[in-house]
Amino acid sequence: MQTLDHTEINNRIQAVLEKRFGDAARTLSGDADLTDALPGFDSLAALEYVTAVEGEFGIEVDFVGDDVRYWFSTLGRTTEYVRERVEDLAA
Amino acid sequence: MTYDALRRSSGVVSGESDLWCTYAAVRTLRWLDRVGDLPSPESVAGFLASRQNSDGGFAWSAGMSSDAWATYYCTQALADLPDGSRGTVRGSSSAWVWSTEHADGGFAMTPSQASDVWATYYAVRTLVEIYGERPPETLFDWLAALQSEDGGLAWSPAHAKDGASDVRACYYAVTAWHTATGGQGPLPWDRERLTDWLRGRQSAAGGFTFRAGDETDCLWATFRATGALSRLGEAPRDPGGCVAWIMSRLRPGESFTRWPGYPVQDVWAAFCAVGALRELGARLDGIADGVVARVLSFRTGQGGFTYRTPELASDVLTTSAHLMARTFPADGEREAVRWTESCMLPNENGIMYMPGRGSEVRCTLWALSAGAFEDDAPARARIAQWLAGSIQNPDGGFGYWEGRASDMVSTSSAAEILHRTGGDSAAGFLRDIADYVAACETTPGRYANVPGGPATLRSTLQALRALHRAVGADDTHVTEALTRHRVPGGGFANEGRRVPDLLSTYEAVLAADVFGLDWDAAHLTKFLDSVRTADGGFAWTPLMAMSGGPLADCLGRRLELRLSPEGIALPPLALS
Repeated sequence: MQTLDHTEINNRIQAVLEKRFGDAARTLSGDADLTDALPGFDSLAALEYVTAVEGEFGIEVDFVGDDVRYWFSTLGRTTEYVRERVEDLAA
Repeated sequence: MTYDALRRSSGVVSGESDLWCTYAAVRTLRWLDRVGDLPSPESVAGFLASRQNSDGGFAWSAGMSSDAWATYYCTQALADLPDGSRGTVRGSSSAWVWSTEHADGGFAMTPSQASDVWATYYAVRTLVEIYGERPPETLFDWLAALQSEDGGLAWSPAHAKDGASDVRACYYAVTAWHTATGGQGPLPWDRERLTDWLRGRQSAAGGFTFRAGDETDCLWATFRATGALSRLGEAPRDPGGCVAWIMSRLRPGESFTRWPGYPVQDVWAAFCAVGALRELGARLDGIADGVVARVLSFRTGQGGFTYRTPELASDVLTTSAHLMARTFPADGEREAVRWTESCMLPNENGIMYMPGRGSEVRCTLWALSAGAFEDDAPARARIAQWLAGSIQNPDGGFGYWEGRASDMVSTSSAAEILHRTGGDSAAGFLRDIADYVAACETTPGRYANVPGGPATLRSTLQALRALHRAVGADDTHVTEALTRHRVPGGGFANEGRRVPDLLSTYEAVLAADVFGLDWDAAHLTKFLDSVRTADGGFAWTPLMAMSGGPLADCLGRRLELRLSPEGIALPPLALS
């Protein structure tokens, strides 16, 4: 699998969020808590977010073992999580 | 009955805005031509818009499925707000409303559910008044079949055959017809018999009740009766007496209470009184200032409204959840139980979500599970009679409240209540429940929430628990369902076996206990660790870092108690 750099992963995740949340996601900082920063980021939206990220990068998240509420709480953490998973897959 | 417990609040206040209250408040202000008095209409719009799902419809609370009820209230309330304050709603809900259409001409509350007149009314008003569309011609045949032998109109054609007329059903049906035709089309009912039946619901005191045999006049029935008569071009038998009865509910210089002896001015009373006075052609300018001031005092920090002054606006689900989570101090527990018991009000012997609203099956189960009426056998018998005698649908199932089409959550809740309260006399009604459950079977041992819907873990377990209470069921299908939806890392998923959630996990452990099956404590512990939050609460799924609120905290706490050395049994709760 091709290795992706941090910026590309970040941009693709931001595009996923923009598709669902529009302008509010466009100006999102990497450390902003998604629940606070995105109106309507409830448990259903969070599930849609994780599923969309899985689809975007071809990975699968373990919803209990991976501490998803930590890794998917900000754009920056999600980027880091995806980078590690993509690297694992490429190894 | 006295209502002293309702004057203050010994229940628990959620502090959240309620959709129905928000709709009623905005509509009342609009009727009084005072919507401009809303200090922050944008925040109301924000609250309403937050109920929209990605399918285009709206839900009555965030995270729930879209339904016709919520979609009408949200779209209508948004339309009532001042120009420029409505914000941006994601597209039209029209296509979603059409997804609830039935071939029989009626509409359902959710796709696949049976038609009922509540849903048909909401769907027709949304399509015609909000989106300028035309309902199907088959609507009129469906409406025509609602007339019962006594001349009144019922919740569905099947209810009409059983002769269950109700003022609310009359209002919803007549208004759906009036909205669809502009009041110009042929009337699909015998006008004289319908008018006579409606007028017959007015008491000598001037107010109305919902049905023959009800004892207490109320503003809700009075508003719906006057509205139905008005759309038929008719008036109550005694219009002057009706206006006088409504005005006697007014606290001078303030707002209205719902019936004689009821102590609380609330949003529903204001909505119903102002609505009825309009229908009767009475002047409103003399009462507007007091009503507007009182209604505006019901706003919450979330942007919408609750039913009364927010610091006193307790509700049954939140209060029951705190009781079952054992968070009350010992001396407050009895008072809180007493408060939930006071939410059984006249004419409907179930327990309401909020006092003064219609009785609801799930809320009744939560309150009973929290200890309500534990030592009051006559009250429990009245609840059983309310379920079996008034609100069981002709298909054997139950809906959230009277007249709503059946669903598995309510049917399972009703089976549990009848099992606890009904004694031997409940057996026949429980057998009828089995008929509804059978109609929801998708493949052997798998069940949907409504006939034709998709099977899920929760609806399957609810169905199997209901069957267990009704006619008996072995554990084979429960074992299969638990295996099918067991998430390897911990907990159970409602769909598939990837994303566990607290409610499905609660129902999985509950069903295993009911059927005497073993379950894995370490597997449950791992799941609970993944949803426990920093503040000691519980999230609905491992995805969220925040507590899901008192209901989620209650379910998580009860699972902890089940895991404790004492192994304290889970209350048989269903939520969605």
